Amino acid sequence: MAKFVHAAAVLAGSTLIALSASAHHSFAIFDHSRTHTLKGKVLTFQWTNPHGYMEIELSEGPGDVDHYTVELTSINMLRRAGWKSSDVNPGDQVTAIVAPLLNGDPGGLLLELKIPDGRTLVPPVPGIASFKRTP
Amino acid sequence: MRANMRFMRALMGLLGVCLVSIAADAQTSAGKPDFSGSWERHRAPPGDPTNPPAESPPPLKREFLEEWEERRQAAREADARGEPIATGYVMCLPDGVPSMMSGPFPVEILQGREQMNIAQEAYSQVRRIYFDKPQASLDDIELGFYGRSVATWEGDTLVVDTIGIKEYVRFRDVPHTKDMRIVERMHFVTPDVFWDEITIQDPAILERPWTVTLAYRRMPGYEIIEYVCEDNREYADEDGITRLRIGGTP
Repeated sequence: MAKFVHAAAVLAGSTLIALSASAHHSFAIFDHSRTHTLKGKVLTFQWTNPHGYMEIELSEGPGDVDHYTVELTSINMLRRAGWKSSDVNPGDQVTAIVAPLLNGDPGGLLLELKIPDGRTLVPPVPGIASFKRTP
Repeated sequence: MRANMRFMRALMGLLGVCLVSIAADAQTSAGKPDFSGSWERHRAPPGDPTNPPAESPPPLKREFLEEWEERRQAAREADARGEPIATGYVMCLPDGVPSMMSGPFPVEILQGREQMNIAQEAYSQVRRIYFDKPQASLDDIELGFYGRSVATWEGDTLVVDTIGIKEYVRFRDVPHTKDMRIVERMHFVTPDVFWDEITIQDPAILERPWTVTLAYRRMPGYEIIEYVCEDNREYADEDGITRLRIGGTP
């Protein structure tokens, strides 16, 4: 393994960083074989790059989890798909379908979001069809 | 009569401004193709002649090819485990040249008489290409993410020569030395599609020059959106694995 460690790793201290991957972002940390449906109140909606984020206080969700972190795509991709930062606001009651983190932490990748005005927003996740939807 | 004269002077003045503007445009292109505008990667249905040739693997020398293939295999296995190896993007590091030409976000090209700038929307990357200037010696420049680029015309093809890329700024994760030279041949295949034929020369690493051709199509009216890598909650853990920070506020 050591021979693969590049000098660039010093940029991250003891962390090994491989520069210039073949793709901008890997969604491999998320489970492609199942989804969670979350219902709850938005605490924060973070409109940033390289990803947007949303914190949700759950009223319905997996297990006994009451707080969930949701990752979105780049906001530039969201913007090109018609999203606005004002589409979601703290206090909104939402329903989100997410691909959960594989490591079991209460977080996931947003695949679909129903917001209070009745719209269902779909983020432009590359390869979104590869995420299997489950009840 | 005096009012008419004032009107005529104003009209002549306006006409003069327009002519200067038109002349400037003409000088900008100097009769050559103008790549100015917003562009996105172009992928037409199979068989479409505007698709560039299929990408070939890098012709790495044996000792480098084995390491490269092992790294790719390790990355695939890490992905399969749900523990992707963290990349420079997690650290908000940009692609550099030539990776920034491979998208996936749009690029904006501004072509002037003396210089052409290419801005990649992702990570707000900018490369500057100088016309009719000699290439520098490696001894006279500092290595960086974008290097130093100069360009000349061969007919309607813009030939861009780039040197000075840091060794850990890699394209397709292919290793290179500081002596790597990148020669790009940019030319239109239709009025709204151009190809960028990227040839990488590095005899210490490659058996022969390696060419990858990327196609771009015009995005009429598209305005580049700012991109600041502001707060990535994904991070690399002590083993270099990508993780997501749970909770918190920006």
